[in-house]
Amino acid sequence: MISKSLAKYLGFRLAFLLVTYIVALSIVFIMLRLVPTNPVDRLITQLLQLNPNITPEQLKEYMKAYYALFELDKPLWMQYITYLSKAFRGDLGFSYINVGRRVSDIIMSALPWTLFLVVPATLAAWFVGNSIGAYAGYKRGSLFEKTLLIVSLILSQTPYYWLAMLLLFAFAYRLNIFPPGQAYPPTMLPSLTPQFIQAALYHYILPFLSIFIAGLGGWAIGMRVLTIYELGSDYILFTEALGAKDSIVFRYVFRNSMIPQVTGLALSLGGAVGGALLTEIVFSYPGMGYVLNRAIMQTDYPVVQGVFVILIATLFLANFLVDFVYALIDPRIRIGGEKV
Amino acid sequence: MTIPSIVYDLLRNRRFLVGLSLFLFVVCFSLIGSLIYARDPFDMSGPPEQPPSREYPLGTDRMGRDILAQIIWGTRYSLYVGVLTALIAMPIGIVIGAVAGVEGGIVDELLMGLTNIVLTIPGILLAILIAATLPSGLRTYEIVAFVIGITSWPWLARAVRAQMLSLREREFVYLSKMAGRGNARIAFEDLLPNIATYVFMAFVLFVNGGILGEAGLSLIGVGPTRGITLGVVLYWAATMEALRRELWWWFIPAGVMIVLSTASLMIITTAVDEVFNPRLRGK
Repeated sequence: MISKSLAKYLGFRLAFLLVTYIVALSIVFIMLRLVPTNPVDRLITQLLQLNPNITPEQLKEYMKAYYALFELDKPLWMQYITYLSKAFRGDLGFSYINVGRRVSDIIMSALPWTLFLVVPATLAAWFVGNSIGAYAGYKRGSLFEKTLLIVSLILSQTPYYWLAMLLLFAFAYRLNIFPPGQAYPPTMLPSLTPQFIQAALYHYILPFLSIFIAGLGGWAIGMRVLTIYELGSDYILFTEALGAKDSIVFRYVFRNSMIPQVTGLALSLGGAVGGALLTEIVFSYPGMGYVLNRAIMQTDYPVVQGVFVILIATLFLANFLVDFVYALIDPRIRIGGEKV
Repeated sequence: MTIPSIVYDLLRNRRFLVGLSLFLFVVCFSLIGSLIYARDPFDMSGPPEQPPSREYPLGTDRMGRDILAQIIWGTRYSLYVGVLTALIAMPIGIVIGAVAGVEGGIVDELLMGLTNIVLTIPGILLAILIAATLPSGLRTYEIVAFVIGITSWPWLARAVRAQMLSLREREFVYLSKMAGRGNARIAFEDLLPNIATYVFMAFVLFVNGGILGEAGLSLIGVGPTRGITLGVVLYWAATMEALRRELWWWFIPAGVMIVLSTASLMIITTAVDEVFNPRLRGK
């Protein structure tokens, strides 16, 4: 049953995320309007090269049609309003470079790949990293704890994409165990046949591993410290004094130190997605990072804009989901009471 | 003036010493390296794709440029971008956090609203967006550091505010108030020194964020345009197919230097935290 305090909390978070989303959309809009590019000029030049016999009247018609296509024929504030309302409906305009292609189509063919990569890898890193971090904090002073701390410190500072390069070099080019990048063999078309799924999973292992391994360290470090703090708290000392079993003490400590890590998960999603984008570039993995990289190189700004609009929206949805989970596991919010 | 005993504790901490020596090595390597090893990183000074040898200790890239020289200069400018990032992000985070924490009320609400908004929009995405829209001629080391700096301060602002809130109710603050001190003086003269180690750790984290952020921006193709950093070296290696051609000496050293500089700083902060933070101090 959703209690009143839970509903209030979630409503507040939703309102905050909506406001932030509008701010983010506005930043994207402003930044991309500051760039002095005019796609119409480029298209007209191309048109003249293809068909030099075009009459000036026809040219004018074309220009008008192009301006209308990119919605550049209206004043800036109207562009902003239509942009905002369309962004909420998922209409992102047309690509400057691949003329006639909808940005939303380009993105929707890339987004599943990114989600397929980021979500399992981040969750796995979060879960495994926290578990070993908690265990290390609990076994304070042991060799395991000391080794884990150093390894985690190094891992947490390893750039995702450098790790990706190392894995790719070692396992794909040197040892020939895994395919060198991409998400599926170029001879196949995405479908839900067993052969394709098998091939996709085979291509999936290295990118997954690079995000998973690069993510582990940070969680382990954080959880180790949280566990040590928790172990020093009065209720644990009291429980220990009562003679509770180690496993019970560990469970208490683990559950309480996990709470900040759930909020941490929400905050780290942005960084994880950023890291995944870079990993995708290294692996030529056909996700958002790959699309973004190409769009930046080609100055295809509607696609750049679309990538940001969709990525930020996805992240905010994920954020809200984490808030929901947080509210469910933290009794202070679930039931209400003392303000934190 | 006597040296406080905490400094001895620090110097007795083995982790601190290891981290410090590693970091000093990185700094010396980047600053003095070019005096000993004088090759120009942009010069096509040898045959292309040479593996490491006596003549070229880390080999050459596909254009015959010396990789050791690239690493020396790249490390120097990566550190430069990192420190600059910290110098930009720190004051913003501290001032916003301190003002919000001490003033309270509507000022607090507004500043924290702003902070939470910037915090929720992923910094790396924001940095990519800003860097991608800048004309490529404008992307100098300083601008790249600025872009990373202005997108990475929010967590410090929140942390400083939280510290200020917990310190605000202490007796010495009341004494200062009775003495007629203004909020600004209380914040910066009375409260800030209390969180000095905290601020030091934030500085180190920002340096790391700057180094890693620059490398990320460079890899996506929006790093410093005409410069050389460790990220730029990795970008060259990635775009010029170092992997497919198995030129491991091209991309391994650059990554090792990134990890060495950032991890050594992390080791230092962990050790400082252990010495100064009573809750973490060994049993």
